[in-house]
Amino acid sequence: MTHKHKDGGHVLHVGTLARVEGEGAMHIAYRDGEVTDVQLRIYEPPRFYEAFLRGRAHTEPPDITARICGICPVAYQMSSCWAIEDACGVSVTDEIRALRRLLYCGEWIESHALHVYLLHAPDFLGYDGAVDMAADHPAVVERGLRLKKAGNRLMEVVGGRSVHPVNVRVGGFYRMPSVEELSAIRPDLERALEDSLETVRLVAGFEFPDFEQPYEYLALRPESGYPIEEGRVVTTSGAGFPVRDFATRIEEVHVPHSNALHARLDGGARGLYSVGPLARYTLNSDRLSPLARRAAADAGLGEGCRNPFRSIVVRAVELVEACHEALRIIDGWTGTGAASVPVPARAGEGYGASEAPRGVLFHRYVLDGAGIIQDAQIVPPTSQNQPSIEADLRAMVGAWADLDEHALQHRCEHAIRNYDPCISCATHFLDLTVERT
Amino acid sequence: MTGGPLVVGPLVIGLGSPDRGDDAVGPAVARSVASRLPGVAVVDHEDPTSLLDLWAGHDPVVVVDAVRSGAPAGTVHWLETGPAAAPVSTRAWRHSGHGGTHAVGLAEMVELGRALGRLPARLVVVGIEAEGFDHGAPLTPRVAAAVPVAAARVCDAVTAARREESSDVPR
Repeated sequence: MTHKHKDGGHVLHVGTLARVEGEGAMHIAYRDGEVTDVQLRIYEPPRFYEAFLRGRAHTEPPDITARICGICPVAYQMSSCWAIEDACGVSVTDEIRALRRLLYCGEWIESHALHVYLLHAPDFLGYDGAVDMAADHPAVVERGLRLKKAGNRLMEVVGGRSVHPVNVRVGGFYRMPSVEELSAIRPDLERALEDSLETVRLVAGFEFPDFEQPYEYLALRPESGYPIEEGRVVTTSGAGFPVRDFATRIEEVHVPHSNALHARLDGGARGLYSVGPLARYTLNSDRLSPLARRAAADAGLGEGCRNPFRSIVVRAVELVEACHEALRIIDGWTGTGAASVPVPARAGEGYGASEAPRGVLFHRYVLDGAGIIQDAQIVPPTSQNQPSIEADLRAMVGAWADLDEHALQHRCEHAIRNYDPCISCATHFLDLTVERT
Repeated sequence: MTGGPLVVGPLVIGLGSPDRGDDAVGPAVARSVASRLPGVAVVDHEDPTSLLDLWAGHDPVVVVDAVRSGAPAGTVHWLETGPAAAPVSTRAWRHSGHGGTHAVGLAEMVELGRALGRLPARLVVVGIEAEGFDHGAPLTPRVAAAVPVAAARVCDAVTAARREESSDVPR
């Protein structure tokens, strides 16, 4: 909905954003090409998880926090497991690490396929949504659904279920999948790898607005490989830090117009920062498999990428990487080790982080001597990206104020979807204002 | 359908998250149907995007979900559709649950199925008007009271469809 003010000013307001996870609204006011106000309003009912976790046992966060999000439960499970194990001074085996990475590949495939095909591609191909797009491009939509299904299957086999996996526990898993079980999904993943390469070719042909942003990028970087399930924090200005420093380096600030906290790095001294595929890729493109690197190069990506609209290309490259990694792990799998290591409770504070499909997800827990949670902190990727999303909108509306209002509004919604925001993960506050138009 | 999957009978799908208050009403109705009608495949599911695979080969298919349209809580909405029926409004029939992939709701998946030629011959969408989605909360009383009502109606519809089938193909 748009309003034109008598004094020549305009208000762009979208009461319920479509094709994003959760419920949010966008409010932009501008006048004579000058933006006077930009607010991404997040009004999905607030989440009480951090308070809810206090008083629970140290073994419970993977199951409880997986419920925060239907689209990235594995991210919550992995970040919480690392954090609890850190607090208890426990390391898991290489085989458990590999299985965590494999499960996480399933979530990346599922989430990226959904976003690329059903949520984001319609913006580039000029459709209101996937349903309209499917009428003209059925094979494209079928490919997206097939990819998503391959991710679902991988999550079912490793995690026990595709939506909220039940096989994850602090210290590892309840049971290891057998070689036969994993081999059985190999053909689906081979097909998914082919579909992913086709996805890169498809999205590389889209038209992208000329738009680059200078944000500090923040992502994980593991000892080897592309960041998925673990790593230390790195940034483009070299302000890297171990995960256990996140609570002092990243500060969460409440802003009045949103139920989600906004995050700042080093008190805002480094300007805005953002997380997600562009940050991961820019900081770790040297870590991609040769196959994914070649696909990226063929799609016209350099070593880094600063155009948020091209995030769909990076997601497609990450689909290739996730399928390739899943096949690599399955091929090396023996499943002979213990499914978990003991994690005896002890008093302490622990930190964990992993790369959710939409960016780094941090968890922190304080335990007492009996393992009862005294304090919990969850910093989801969408909270970290919200200031960048608003800054993108501010810059775009300023640059494209000559577009007609319908086109401008569409481009703003498209710009929000560049970040694949998971609004349901990001909300924290009780003072809820419901605004619908 | 030539080369298509064999039709394997009726399927009832309950959509929704089991621990988000009234969002659990779909699975609750599906379980109630399962207890009354042995031999009918019944699944609980939280993710609407897998519907096209779930219902492949089944006929008739009933999908039960929590909805919010402004009607009194516990109201049972009933919509029969299929390949030849008019499109379902994706605005009017918006999935209101929070546990699943709410960026792509039930109505979108029905219409995606139509666009891709993957709708069951007979599809019934049952919406139960919900009012609360709190974490860990049980069904609210009016929604809980609607479960047996909706389940009985689903059972009647499935039984009638089976009867129709057996009269079409006399043994």
